[in-house]
Amino acid sequence: MRSLHAELTKLRTLPSIWWLLAATVVLMVALGAAAVDSVTSQACLSPADCHEDTVKLSLTGVWLGQAACLVLGVLSMGAEYSTGMIRTTLTAVPIRRRLLVSKATALSLLTGAAGVVAVLASLWTARLILPLHGSTLRPATGTVLCLILVALLGLSLATLLRDTAAAIICGLGLLYIVPLLADILHSPTWQHRLERWAPMPAALSIQATRNLDHLPIAPWPGLGVLAAYALGLLVAGSVLFGRRDA
Amino acid sequence: MSDATIEVRDLRKRFGRTVAVDGLSFTVQPGTVTGFVGPNGAGKSTTMRAILGLDAPDQGTALIGGRPYRDLRTPLLEVGALLDAAALHPSRRGRDHLRWLAHSHGLPTHRVDEVLEQVGMDKAARRRAGGYSLGMRQRLGIAAALLGDPPVLLLDEPVNGLDPEGIQWIRTLLRRLAAEGRAVLVSSHLMSELEDTADHLVVIGRGRLIADRAVADLLAAASGDRVRLRTAARTEALELLAREGGTVTVTDRETLTVTGLPVERIVELLSEARVPVTEVGAHRATLEEAYMELTREAVEFGSSPDGEEVTP
Repeated sequence: MRSLHAELTKLRTLPSIWWLLAATVVLMVALGAAAVDSVTSQACLSPADCHEDTVKLSLTGVWLGQAACLVLGVLSMGAEYSTGMIRTTLTAVPIRRRLLVSKATALSLLTGAAGVVAVLASLWTARLILPLHGSTLRPATGTVLCLILVALLGLSLATLLRDTAAAIICGLGLLYIVPLLADILHSPTWQHRLERWAPMPAALSIQATRNLDHLPIAPWPGLGVLAAYALGLLVAGSVLFGRRDA
Repeated sequence: MSDATIEVRDLRKRFGRTVAVDGLSFTVQPGTVTGFVGPNGAGKSTTMRAILGLDAPDQGTALIGGRPYRDLRTPLLEVGALLDAAALHPSRRGRDHLRWLAHSHGLPTHRVDEVLEQVGMDKAARRRAGGYSLGMRQRLGIAAALLGDPPVLLLDEPVNGLDPEGIQWIRTLLRRLAAEGRAVLVSSHLMSELEDTADHLVVIGRGRLIADRAVADLLAAASGDRVRLRTAARTEALELLAREGGTVTVTDRETLTVTGLPVERIVELLSEARVPVTEVGAHRATLEEAYMELTREAVEFGSSPDGEEVTP
């Protein structure tokens, strides 16, 4: 618990962390509002015969918010290596697995808090523009979890690579390039595979409230794919972190 | 604090093909300042990292109070370390840097303010660390080491880049910490930095132990039976004393160092030959000289001694 307190203090005392948390909220609300607003004028002339998945649309902002969370996660470990502070950190908390668990928990708490604010603000803003159909509980919770998992993905990559820039590039590649590939590839089989097994489109099935039977992957298993990436890399990072000289 | 020691036993560590530490053993006793000296690249930092559990040794052990660092429940209360004073996040305030360290051990915030005052950083610590001078970083690093009031201290090159006032401050602090009964290990690649500060010296070269002795012994051994004399007639004195069986070294424009002849004999010879002498006395070696003698074979980047030796 003490090492968690230390890691929380470490994050809280950096201005860049607060900027990134604010960016997560602003980007999510702004993109969500834009997405919902574009629908009102084009596809949904009246709320009654609107067949769009409005809840999913209002949470579209996750596509931008996740970038801020990724950077946040990367910085939480990357800055330790770039400044050399990792040695001070390890003299204070010599049990490396405990340190990594504390870091992951502190990061999850902060991104989780920002995620809750961002999701609630996105839904509230969307509701001002359009009525939302269906239950928002699963999409809302899932989106918050999604942001937390992306931050953990950043932490894992930074732990593995020990370099901020390299970890950000790998993370962005995983989140944005893989979904782009799905559009470039003409083979429907491969498109389907990527939509199911790439972390980002798969995880966002958690936001769907309509046509659940036609999703490439069901909501919770979809989020599970992202969780598998983040936690799998975290375990790999933990093993290497425990063995390497600091 | 009697069992608070650092014990290094047969420590070995290699990085790729380079052997950084090669079978090193030594002990740091409580109540003493132990200087850890060696040329750059001798393995000092690697040894310190091994003691702190940061690098895993290939062989041997490094124990603190009988236990490996990674087994310490509250390490900051048992060992205070300064490894790299520059290792600070530039946008975090100095005080916040100590706060997270304090939180990792459940120490109260007033302890942070206490150590900041002790190192004279109470005002500067409210600013972001990016704007600190090297001296301020060193002081903050020392405050971090003192945070848990530990019985063992490990400081890697703490005077590096400090101004004379800062160096004096660290010396006084190290003396006081040892006088309080703590075991203090302080590394340096400059022997002169440890003069008047260290009680004991552990000298290493190429990862091996060269000497593990009390400073007083080391100085006595290096001083030998040398006599130092000052004369305007350097050449006459040199030739005369060399002829009489002394080994004479020119140490300065007007000074000579003589070995192999007792002081009385030298004075007698010089006055018989009417060689003017302004000063004669037994020579007291500096720590630097003692060190040069010890490391002559072990230094990786050696330089020739500046005295020319004349033997009969």
